Amino acid sequence: MSNQPGAGAGTTTVRNAVVIGGNRIPFARSGGAYAHSSNKDMLIAALDGLVARFGLQGERVGEVAAGAVLKHSRDFNLTREAVLGSALSAHTPAYDLQQACATGLETVVGLANKIKLGQIDSGIAGGVDSASDAPIVVSEGLRRVLLDLSRARTPKQKLAAVSRLRPRDLAPNAPTTGEPRTGLSMGEHQALTTAAWGITREAQDELAFASHANLAAAYERGFFEDLMTPYRGLTRDANLRADTSLEKLAKLKPVFGAGLDTPATMTAGNSTPLTDGAAVVLLGSEDYARANNLPMLANVVDAEAAAVDFVSGQEGLLMAPVYAMPRLLQRNGLHFDDFDFFEIHEAFASTVLSSIAAWESEEFCRTRLGLDGALGKIDRSKLNVNGSSLAAGHPFAATGGRIVASLAKALAEKGSGRGLISVCAAGGQGVVAILEAR
Amino acid sequence: MNEVVLPAMPALAGLYRQAALGSVLRRAGRRSPASALPGVRHRASGGPVDRERLTAFQHLVGQAARDVVPSAHVHTLAFPVAMSVMARPDFPLPLLGMVHLSNTVVQTRALRVGENFESVAYAEKLSPHRSGTTVELVTEVSVDGERIWTGRSVYLARGVRTVSGREEHPAPAPDGSPGAGPAAGADSRDAALPGSGDTFTPPVPTAQWHLASDTGRAYAAVSGDWNPIHLSAPSARLLGMKRAIAHGVYLAARMVELAEPAAPDALSWRVNFLSPALLPGTLAVAVRPGEASGGSVGRTEVIGWTPGAKRPSFTGWVTAQAVDPASP
Repeated sequence: MSNQPGAGAGTTTVRNAVVIGGNRIPFARSGGAYAHSSNKDMLIAALDGLVARFGLQGERVGEVAAGAVLKHSRDFNLTREAVLGSALSAHTPAYDLQQACATGLETVVGLANKIKLGQIDSGIAGGVDSASDAPIVVSEGLRRVLLDLSRARTPKQKLAAVSRLRPRDLAPNAPTTGEPRTGLSMGEHQALTTAAWGITREAQDELAFASHANLAAAYERGFFEDLMTPYRGLTRDANLRADTSLEKLAKLKPVFGAGLDTPATMTAGNSTPLTDGAAVVLLGSEDYARANNLPMLANVVDAEAAAVDFVSGQEGLLMAPVYAMPRLLQRNGLHFDDFDFFEIHEAFASTVLSSIAAWESEEFCRTRLGLDGALGKIDRSKLNVNGSSLAAGHPFAATGGRIVASLAKALAEKGSGRGLISVCAAGGQGVVAILEAR
Repeated sequence: MNEVVLPAMPALAGLYRQAALGSVLRRAGRRSPASALPGVRHRASGGPVDRERLTAFQHLVGQAARDVVPSAHVHTLAFPVAMSVMARPDFPLPLLGMVHLSNTVVQTRALRVGENFESVAYAEKLSPHRSGTTVELVTEVSVDGERIWTGRSVYLARGVRTVSGREEHPAPAPDGSPGAGPAAGADSRDAALPGSGDTFTPPVPTAQWHLASDTGRAYAAVSGDWNPIHLSAPSARLLGMKRAIAHGVYLAARMVELAEPAAPDALSWRVNFLSPALLPGTLAVAVRPGEASGGSVGRTEVIGWTPGAKRPSFTGWVTAQAVDPASP
């Protein structure tokens, strides 16, 4: 199907891209049930369930896009390798994408745009991450020696290369959540933002408690039955604590922000744990969905990315979605009141709360976002109603697929309305997106 | 046929010791070889597959770590029951040093992680062979009383003459073809395979398998089968091999993964071992997907050979359907 000529001069009306469904494996805590499963294993497990649910065996899907944040160099073609290991037709093209924690959402945006433009009729977007099976690399010193050694021709050259090796070069490097330009971990960066906005410990614990309660309730009512495939003995997210309480959360010791003037408030309970998992979303044009008798849960309406200067300390590392949001809303002529669901990724409880506080601040919105006044208030009863990353866990690149599939289903259940997604990412980046019920 | 219910899945190490003892007794003339197969079936229950070992098996043979047990891994899970039949004092052939000629597997659905299974094994078709005597070990795997997997392994005991009559598995001709008898490879369809003609002309390879020197030990660790001929050159020499050789089921598992990577429920495959794949070594491999016809899915044919060798290392086929289990 080609693009339809639009009504306005110089514009083109694009067709709708719809979310047909999704599938993920339960998220495991790092070192838990998926300790020996690779990114490829988990992505294939998520794909297997999606293929089975929507009868895609042997089908050539328009394109598959996915990625992993912690990725071994041998997995350069991770997504294509997963397609080849799946029941999809080997004629299904695939590409890898990496935008830190926004990877999964960005794959949805990219493929939805291709569908809208008529370049593809169907697509599978998603992501996977393993904190357990993380790639470990040799030290820079050893790497240089090994490379020189491979180029050395004479024994003298080989000896010269090896003689540069020092004992410290033998220590391997594991990936960290540290920002390369600042050396601060993501948690320490967020602690700065948390302090700047004066987000209290109580407010963070309340958000974490709501995340667990909402996720547990979603499981109870069978919400995930057509969104999840059990894997390696897990049938629910391992991080979910259905029996947690504000008292239990209040007892946890702070783990970030200990060196600041303000009291440290961020604990293991109101920060996401390192997690393993995978999530994928099936997208298509309306014609594709109808021709294959597939459901249409929601339309992918629009998306916006933003980035902030966190290196100079002018803005918090995880505040980019705050900047993307007014641009997205203005382009679509929408306000917070026009939305029925808000999916704000809970990297940390205080990330969500800092973002909400910023959008409610007249001064911030005027000076930083260039608005006339505050962007608006978010009705907390519409926030992360089926749980989010604090309860489910956060396998970095898998989170976007989890959110899009869950939100699309929530919109389909409601039968009307809109949903807003906000995902922050390392490097001071963020992506926000709008889904709309059909 | 009588049935012996084993108290638990037997341990392979104990069976190898038992077999070694039997072979010593036999050589010392303390035990005369039987001339007929024991008319018994051995039955044992297996618990849910160990997830860690399953993952290691899947990764070793290049499969994704799904919650589905690879068809070839089912063989390794049930193999101890077949071994226990062959290790019986009244089994007519010496277990140690037996050569694996072929495997045929018919699977109606995959065994899944977490499922208990039952395995029954028996021997049949003791038959003369130019180089000795062949026997077929049949292994059936059931879940909740439903048979889901049937495997038939053909072994050759070199130099053992116990029976006379028709050869079930004629020896390969000197030129390397696997025999032209009516039951060549128990499957006349194999005649279509490259390498089964008069001379072996290698097809264009579509893959290359680098088999490292530790392939046999790595496979032993994930399968539990510590047969000395796969472990090292010295241990293989004790059993008459030039060097360690790749485990046949390891090659079969990689063949199945190459042909059907999505691990379908219904699956049948056959592998014929024509010459050992020495370790370390490189195998050239060619895959030829079959055409689907008449409501039947295609059968992918696979052949593996050492470049320059006179005959293939293995030939086989894989198909995503359960072929008639009566004549696998």
